[in-house]
Amino acid sequence: MNGSVVFVVDDDRSVRSSLKLLISSVGLQVESFESADTFLQRKPPDAPSCLVLDVRLRGLSGLDFQRELAARNIHIPIVFITGHGDIPMSVRAMKAGAIEFLTKPFRDQDLLDAVRIALEQDRARREQERDLTDLQQRFDSLTPREQEVISMVVSGMLNKQIAGELGTAENTVKVHRSRAMEKMNAQSFADLVRMIEKIKGPTKKAS
Amino acid sequence: MGFSPMGEIAVRLAERISDRSIYLVRLTVEDPEVGDVGQHFLLILPVYVGVGMSPAGSAPANDEAPQHIEQRWRTAFESSAIGITMADLAGRFFAANSVFRNMLGYTESELYELTYLDVTYEEDQKTNQELVGELMEGKRQHFQIEKRYCRKDGTLVWVRNYVSRVPGMGGVAPFWFAVVEDITQRKEEESARRYTEEKYRVMVETASDAVICLDESSAILLANPATTRVFGYDPTELIGKPLTMLMPEFLRKLHEGGFKRYLATGQRHINWQGTELIGLRKNGQEFPVEVSFGELIQDGHRVFTGFIRDISERKQAEEIRKQAQKAIQTTQAELARVSRLTTMGELAASIAHEVNQPLTAVNNNSSACLRLLANERLQPDVLRRALEEIVADGTRASAIIARIRTFIKKAPAEKNRLDVNEVIGEVLAMMGHGFEENRIVLKSELAQALPPVLGDRVQLQQVLLNLIMNGVEAMTAIVDRPRLLWVQSRIDESGDVLIAVRDSGTGLGLEADSVFTPFFTTKANGMGMGLSISRSLIDAHGGRLWTTPNSPHGAVFSFTLPVPAGSPS
Repeated sequence: MNGSVVFVVDDDRSVRSSLKLLISSVGLQVESFESADTFLQRKPPDAPSCLVLDVRLRGLSGLDFQRELAARNIHIPIVFITGHGDIPMSVRAMKAGAIEFLTKPFRDQDLLDAVRIALEQDRARREQERDLTDLQQRFDSLTPREQEVISMVVSGMLNKQIAGELGTAENTVKVHRSRAMEKMNAQSFADLVRMIEKIKGPTKKAS
Repeated sequence: MGFSPMGEIAVRLAERISDRSIYLVRLTVEDPEVGDVGQHFLLILPVYVGVGMSPAGSAPANDEAPQHIEQRWRTAFESSAIGITMADLAGRFFAANSVFRNMLGYTESELYELTYLDVTYEEDQKTNQELVGELMEGKRQHFQIEKRYCRKDGTLVWVRNYVSRVPGMGGVAPFWFAVVEDITQRKEEESARRYTEEKYRVMVETASDAVICLDESSAILLANPATTRVFGYDPTELIGKPLTMLMPEFLRKLHEGGFKRYLATGQRHINWQGTELIGLRKNGQEFPVEVSFGELIQDGHRVFTGFIRDISERKQAEEIRKQAQKAIQTTQAELARVSRLTTMGELAASIAHEVNQPLTAVNNNSSACLRLLANERLQPDVLRRALEEIVADGTRASAIIARIRTFIKKAPAEKNRLDVNEVIGEVLAMMGHGFEENRIVLKSELAQALPPVLGDRVQLQQVLLNLIMNGVEAMTAIVDRPRLLWVQSRIDESGDVLIAVRDSGTGLGLEADSVFTPFFTTKANGMGMGLSISRSLIDAHGGRLWTTPNSPHGAVFSFTLPVPAGSPS
C-alpha cells in the first residue's frame, strides 16, 4: 500500500527497533515512538495508517491511550501487543475497536497480518470518509429550497403533498427535485435515498 | 539417766524432816513420753516452812543452833529454782516460794487466802480433785499431774506438779507438799510439733503423688493412699516389700546397685530432685514417673522418702505438643514456600512482561532478517545491527531468568553483607511496571552510604516485595487523592538500618494489631501469611517489623536490621 504508515509505540527500545525492522522488511513505512505523548505530537498523516501499541506504557497505558484517541475523534486502527495479556484486558481492547491483541512474543506473520488488516481497514475508512465528504459537498451545493424538497421526497412524500406543505405549485416542486437529482449526481430515486441516508443517517418516514 | 519419781523423794524427805536432818537432793527430770533430757536442778529442801511448823519436842540432831538450821532451810526454800508450795488438807496454801508466787502472780498473803482449786484451771479441776481424793484415802502416797493454773491476771500457765501427802508428826498436822514445774514452753513446743507433724501427715495422706518411705534395706515402711492410685497396690500390700517391685525388671539391678553404693559411699547416682524414671503398676503396665527423694535419720537408722509422680499424662501432653509444634513448623515452612510462590504468581505478570520483551525483539529481528534475505534485500550493516541486538536481548533475557531463579529458589537463609539500598533497587526492578499500571507515584528516599547489614538477600527481597505489594494493593481503591508510595532507608536512633514502606492507601485502622497474625487478611484473595512470614523473617535477622499509621492517610510498615559490629558507618 503506497503511502501507508505504521506507527509503533513501545517504551522498550529493543522491541521498538526490532518492530521497525520487521515491519519495514515487508516494505512498509514505519515510524516509532517511545510514548503515547510523543506520538500525539506528530501531525496525523493523510494516508492509511495504523498503530502498533504496547499495552504497558510509561505514563498513559495503552488501553487508556486507546480511549484518549477515541475521545479526540482519531480513528486510527490499533494492533495491541503485550508482554502479559489477560482475558479481561484483551476483551476491553477488542470491544473498543482494536484490530488484534497479540501476546509477546508473537509470530511475525501474525503481526504483519494484523498490520495489513489494520491498514486495509483504515484505507477503507478513509475512502468511505472521502465519499461522504464528496456527497456532503454536493448536498451543500443545493439551494435551501432544493434541500428541503429533497428531504421531503426521501421521507416518502408525494410531489402534491410537498407542494401543499410548502404552499407552491406541484410543478415547481418537480423542477426543484430534478435539479437536485442532477446536482447530487443521483442516477435514480433509490440512489438519491441512499445518498441522503449516508449523509444524515437512516431517515424516518414522516407521519 | 533414770526417771526419779518425785513423790518418793518427797516421802523420804518428810521422814527426815522429823529428825531435822538435812537432805541434799539432786533431781533429774526426764519425761519418758517426750524423751526430753533437760531440766537438771539442784534442790535443797527446807525443814521448816511457814510459821508454826517447827516440830516441837524433838531434839536437834547436831550441835548447830536450831535457828541457824531453820534459816538455812528457809533460804534454800525461797531461792529454789523450782516452784514449791504446801497446803493444808483442805487445800489452802500456807507456804509458797517466790518461784511459785511469780508463776501465779499472787503475793504471799493473797495466796494464803486461796485453795489449790481456786487457782486451777476449770477444765483441770476434776482430775486434780480425784487425784487429791485418792491421796486423802491413802490409795496413793503421791501423784503427778500436768495441769493449768489460772494466773492472777487471768492468763494460763502449764505446770507439772509432783504432789505428796506429808504425814503428820509430833504437833504438826499432815499437809500436802507440791513441787511445781512451769512447762508452758514445753507444752507450746509440743503443740507446735504436733501441729507440724499433723500438717505433714495430712500432706502425705492427701498428696496426689505416691509417697513411700524406705528403710536401709530398701524395704517399704510406709505408703500413702495415693500409692494405690499411682501403682494400683493397696499400701498394706507394700509394707515390708522391696521398692523394686514398683519398677520394671531392667531398673531393679540399677536401683539395688545405686542404693548400695549410696549407703556405702554417700554417692548419689541419680538426681534426687525430679528424676524421670519408669514405674511398674500392679497390672504390669509400665509408665513414666518423676521421682524425688529425701533422707532422714531416725533412731540411728536412715529412712528414705520418695515422692513419685505419675507423669504419663504430662508426657503424653508433651508428646502431643511436640508433634503439634513439628506440624506447625512444617506447615509454616510450607506456607512460606507457598506464599513465596503466590507472591511469584502475582509477580508473574511483570516478570513475563520483562522476559517477553527481549524475546519479542529477538523474534522480530531474526524474522525481519529472514524476510530481507528471502527478498535478497538484506544489507550487511542491517544484518550486523540486527545480530548485535539479538545477542544483547538474549543476554538480557538470561539475566532476568537468573534473577527469577535466585528469587524462587527455596534456599535456606544465607547471610551476607548486603547494601540495603541495592536490595531495594532489585525489588523495585522486580515490580517493573507494577507502579505505572496502578498509577502509583513511587518516591524512593534512600539514605546514602548506609553501612552494610548481615542478611539473606532473597528473604529481604521477599519481605520488601511483600510490603510494597501490600502498599500498592492498599491504594487501588483510592481515587480522590494521589496514590503515593514511599520507600525509605535510613539509620535509626539506635544505629540500626531502618527501611520503611509508606503508602497513602486506606490504612489499617483497628486492624493494625492483627495484621501480623497468621491467616489474617484484609484482601479478598489474600492468604494472610505475608506479614506473618515477613515478621518471622525479620525476627530471624535480629530486626523488628512493625506498622504505624501514615499521616494523613495510609500505613507505614517499617523494619530494622542490625548493623554488624565493626561496620564502617
